[in-house]
Amino acid sequence: MNKLLLAALVTGALSTPVFAADYTIMAPAAPGGGWDQTARTMQEALQGEGISGNVQVTNVPGAGGTIGLAQFATQENANPDALIVGGYVMVGAILTNMSPVTLDNVTPIARLTGEAVGIVVPAASDIQTIDDLVAKLKEDTGAVAWAGGSAGGVDHITAGLIAKAIGVDPTQVNYIAYSGGGEALAAILGGQVTVGISGISEFASQIQAGELRLLAVSTDTRVDGFDAPTLQEAGVDVAVQNWRMVAAAPGITDEQKAAITADVKAMAESATWQTALETKGWVDTYLDGEAFDAQLDADITATESILKDIGLVQ
Amino acid sequence: MDTWGLLAQGLIAALQVHNLIYALIGVTLGTAVGVLPGIGPALTVALLLPVTYKLDPAGSLIMFAGIYYGGMYGGSTTSILLNTPGESASIVTALEGNKMARKGRGGPALATAAIGSFVAGLIATLGLAFVAPTVVKFALSFGPADYFALMVLAFITVSAAFGDSALRGLTALFIGLGLGLIGIDLQTGQTRLAFGVMDLLDGIEVTTMAVALFAIGETLKTASDRDQVNAEVIAVKGSVWMTIEDWKRSWAAWLRGTFIGFPIGAMPAGGADVASFLSYSAEKSFTKKPEEFGNGAIEGVAGPEAANNASAAGTLVPLLTLGLPTTATAAIMLAGFQQFGLQPGPLLFTNNASLVWALIASLLVANFMLLVLNLPLIGLWVKLLTIPKPWLYAGILTFATLGTLGANGAMSMGVGPVRISFELVLLLAFGVLGYLLRRFGYPIAPVVVGLILGPMAEQQLRRALAISQGDLNILVSSPIAIALYVVAFIALALPLYLRLRGKGAMLGQLATDED
Amino acid sequence: MTPGSSSRERRPDGAALVIAVILAGLAAIIFWQTSQMRVPPIQARVGPTVFPYVIATGLALLAVGTAISALRNGFPARSKDDYGPIAWIIGGLVAQILLLSTAGFSIATGVLFAFTAKAFGRGPLWQTIPIGVVFCFVVWFLFAKGLQLSLPAGPLERLLTTGSF
Repeated sequence: MNKLLLAALVTGALSTPVFAADYTIMAPAAPGGGWDQTARTMQEALQGEGISGNVQVTNVPGAGGTIGLAQFATQENANPDALIVGGYVMVGAILTNMSPVTLDNVTPIARLTGEAVGIVVPAASDIQTIDDLVAKLKEDTGAVAWAGGSAGGVDHITAGLIAKAIGVDPTQVNYIAYSGGGEALAAILGGQVTVGISGISEFASQIQAGELRLLAVSTDTRVDGFDAPTLQEAGVDVAVQNWRMVAAAPGITDEQKAAITADVKAMAESATWQTALETKGWVDTYLDGEAFDAQLDADITATESILKDIGLVQ
Repeated sequence: MDTWGLLAQGLIAALQVHNLIYALIGVTLGTAVGVLPGIGPALTVALLLPVTYKLDPAGSLIMFAGIYYGGMYGGSTTSILLNTPGESASIVTALEGNKMARKGRGGPALATAAIGSFVAGLIATLGLAFVAPTVVKFALSFGPADYFALMVLAFITVSAAFGDSALRGLTALFIGLGLGLIGIDLQTGQTRLAFGVMDLLDGIEVTTMAVALFAIGETLKTASDRDQVNAEVIAVKGSVWMTIEDWKRSWAAWLRGTFIGFPIGAMPAGGADVASFLSYSAEKSFTKKPEEFGNGAIEGVAGPEAANNASAAGTLVPLLTLGLPTTATAAIMLAGFQQFGLQPGPLLFTNNASLVWALIASLLVANFMLLVLNLPLIGLWVKLLTIPKPWLYAGILTFATLGTLGANGAMSMGVGPVRISFELVLLLAFGVLGYLLRRFGYPIAPVVVGLILGPMAEQQLRRALAISQGDLNILVSSPIAIALYVVAFIALALPLYLRLRGKGAMLGQLATDED
Repeated sequence: MTPGSSSRERRPDGAALVIAVILAGLAAIIFWQTSQMRVPPIQARVGPTVFPYVIATGLALLAVGTAISALRNGFPARSKDDYGPIAWIIGGLVAQILLLSTAGFSIATGVLFAFTAKAFGRGPLWQTIPIGVVFCFVVWFLFAKGLQLSLPAGPLERLLTTGSF
């Protein structure tokens, strides 16, 4: 039996063609998570489409990606072959962890995918619309318990932005952090908390089953397949999406940046990538160049101000 | 759909060729590593975790199920033939099994252990399939306050209730709890006790800790202990097959062991060691040949081995339905789930129903495979026992460091010009801690359980108080929580009473050296 | 545990007293670090400092308990341990940690392998180090190439898989 296993492993090893190393993508998260899957799907698409001969993925998990980011910025300086996957979660984590390395220390290339944050209540709740929720928040902010992902993450930020937009004190938001939307789900379904807030895919099956009611989505456009208004349509001026991006090493030349951007764009337009998006249920929100830089700056500014308002950053 | 339907669906998934191959690789690796002396199931699972990193979740968990059951089987072989149980749950097996082996009845001892494990594994896995959905329904109504009460109960049973010293049990638990504080606080994003080290922001990795305490700690202890240098492997002589007499004496013991083991594993109270000791006592009082006990009574192998395996399956009930690991092995299994972003708990059964049922069905499949593999291949496994110690422990350390490096071995620190892996430094530090704990008679399991349950308990408590806006009454406002505190109090008071009445010796026997 | 010869003597257990001091030290570190934290205003109820204080208090009480137990000889008797093998194993782990980034997995872990074998009485090192390096290279190949695990590669790995340093 051991021999069989050994044979299987060796055959597997030998069937990996040996190319000269090309891109190395760091996923600043544990294997299996969203960023890791993004990195591995990129690997597949870059190799499958012949954009890059051999792509390696490394994992450096921890602290909302800031551990990986710090390592990337210091060790890969001016290396045009190094890429790192990241996302909105990093923006908040950099601020709350007082990370010495920020996104200014890397070269952001493009936004790849995005997801709306959904605001849900259990089916039995007396809250029918976002207006009911707003009314409750105005009446007694602390009595509304929100359940969502970790403190300072996009879920928490969205809850804070909503409070700010409707004119209640963001520091009074009673936000209860779970390690992810999935874990928060039990508390929401069990009626332990008033309202749930997390990536819409975390709630999708319960919304479809009618166990949860989707009050609104956080993006500036409605989300296909969900019958709910955007926050802006419902009169709350908040637009947030939880995006994932890819960045390159600091200190690369403009030509190198242009070449990487071209490769990433080709990858994002490839059939392999598009098929993968569909099977994984990711939404293509590709954006590069100056438009992406501007969007990133706006998100960082908004996040910093709301985290200060909530009291997580001083 | 009813349980049979769900289980049938799971079986269809588990019987797909690639899943069968994963299960086969799992049981083979699990048995092979589990047989190695000094390696119990907790370490087997921790060492083999990296093998599953790159598989899909279903395949990986199926392989894991195989590793878990395989490790349990492998452990009994070591106890019988080598008299160095790889884990405390096998101590009793060594008691009678090794005596049988010395009398040239090693074959029947291995056979009754294997068949007993199979019978227990079969019944207990079916038990898991039928009990789990009920617990899930119940668990959905659990609020943070109830979870907190549950964890308080787990802390008490793991650290203070059993073992020969409540002081050392609690100290081990608090070391684990203290280490669990390190890292970013989930509720506020604040960093605690990280001393400016980036790698500590995410807290201490459970697998690193478990591998260090079990593999490195055990290696250091064995190397330093002159008495332990040469244990003798007993060759399997005579017939491997059980006689009719053996069967007659074994079957009832298997069933009794199963029914003792499963509930003990399923409750957040103690692990397989408690079950195997209770089963041993039961067999001793039921037997018609009490004079054989201590000299190789087959019931003394059959019952505890069945109890041991039934309890291992029972442990999966709180793990899968509540996300609550009650043994070190279960804590590592939890890490195995979390690497795929799967959070065991009541919702696992609705959100990932097909995966859960495929996992439960693969436990049944793995159980059959082990029976088929183990009886004919016993000679092969016995060969593994004869690996010389220098090579064995050198290999264990190679794989221990490999697993740590593969999981998070980034070269994140610099000593002068040399880049080093902080995770390996932690591995070394905790390895030394593991050695010291062993040297001074501290149990290991509470450290691991404290590390993993401490942060969970804290989060649940703070969530409960945030929801109630600070009202402490919420902690005792549900009947579930009150009942759990009552049980916790009994678990704390009963052993104390027994010790005062001079019955401490029996509890001392339940000392948890390892998982 | 095999009973040691000193188990009958009624004198304080020095090592156990050291453990008590270490536990007290841990408690002090947790107290001190926690007192340095700045607590965000929203967490006025049970904030991130409550649990650390509870655990530090627990450790302090256990330190007292351990000290009492040490004075009463409440610890199980210990066998006399041999520290030579321990030094070899720890030395092997330290060598591996220092060598990994430059020499790669096979050489660094090969050294650990040989040092561990030495701790269990197998030598000499000039024989066991090559054995360890070959064994670790096979392991590296299976896990890094077969299972795509990221393990540090050094000159040896690069030479044998790509033909150049």
